[in-house]
Amino acid sequence: MWRTATVRDVVQESRSARTIALDVPHWPGHRAGQHVDIRLTADDGYQAERSYSIASAPELERLELTVELVPDGEVSTYLIEEVRPGDEFEVRGPIGGHFTWSSDEGGPLLLVAGGSGLAPLMAMLRHRAARDSDVEVHALISTRSPDDALYASEIARLRPRQGLEVSWTYTRTSPEGWEGWERRVDADMIAATGFGDPAGVRCFVCGPTPFVEHVLGLLVQAGYDASSIHAERFGPTGG
Amino acid sequence: MTDLHLDGNGMAGLLGDILGTEPTTVVRRCQSCGDRQPLGAHRAYRGAGVVLRCPTCGDLAVCIGFQEDQVTVRWFGAYRFALDQAPEE
Repeated sequence: MWRTATVRDVVQESRSARTIALDVPHWPGHRAGQHVDIRLTADDGYQAERSYSIASAPELERLELTVELVPDGEVSTYLIEEVRPGDEFEVRGPIGGHFTWSSDEGGPLLLVAGGSGLAPLMAMLRHRAARDSDVEVHALISTRSPDDALYASEIARLRPRQGLEVSWTYTRTSPEGWEGWERRVDADMIAATGFGDPAGVRCFVCGPTPFVEHVLGLLVQAGYDASSIHAERFGPTGG
Repeated sequence: MTDLHLDGNGMAGLLGDILGTEPTTVVRRCQSCGDRQPLGAHRAYRGAGVVLRCPTCGDLAVCIGFQEDQVTVRWFGAYRFALDQAPEE
């Protein structure tokens, strides 16, 4: 079922990503990790659909999507460069039950994000903070550079800090004076950010397909149970 | 394995509308290898249409073809639906 969404606000989130806040009348609510389909219809009737993860916590009344510009992508180009508050388009959702987490389900959680794959994991971190949950969560975020990093200042302020550990790795350019990781996710990083005992840990991995495949291999090698690893892959689909 | 595959989550909106239930948690038993995996864990490949493949053995799971205002879906394997998963609305 498609609903009409109205753009309430647009915020530049990084060099190439924007967060679009939407008002969706009769929105039934969502769970952290779910996504929506977006449908744009041109004046001549041509339609294009794409899926975007929901970045906002279920506790927030508006819906926030973070969209990364795909060069020449017809939908992301519109959402990044054209869309203005008051614009309308159609959304379908919330969608997905496989890649979701609620604080009631407990933890511990290991979250691994590549690029804009952070969006649905951010919904989980925001949900955890909104519920004042102390579920143990370790997050490993891979990003190209500080200019590409999403939600960095908000993540630094997330409460409660207790039980939450966030690690960043910069694959191209790191901040000045950075002494942390400056490479792609590898086994050492998984060992350092993960849990001593992988039993019972739920893992959520989201990013571009090659990133996800790589991390899934590392997690299984590190002893995490394949059935407790949830993955969401994206691109390239034409953006 | 090509870089083009996504996963079953990306087709969940369409399949959910067709099935009237949340599709990513529907467990499919593969007709080829016998493994049971949720549709959300299946791999999706996009071409003229979309093909979902078993994440374990790679055999066909769901083929989706798009016509102007119609969709054709071929299902392979056995699908287990929870009866308490009423569609929303």
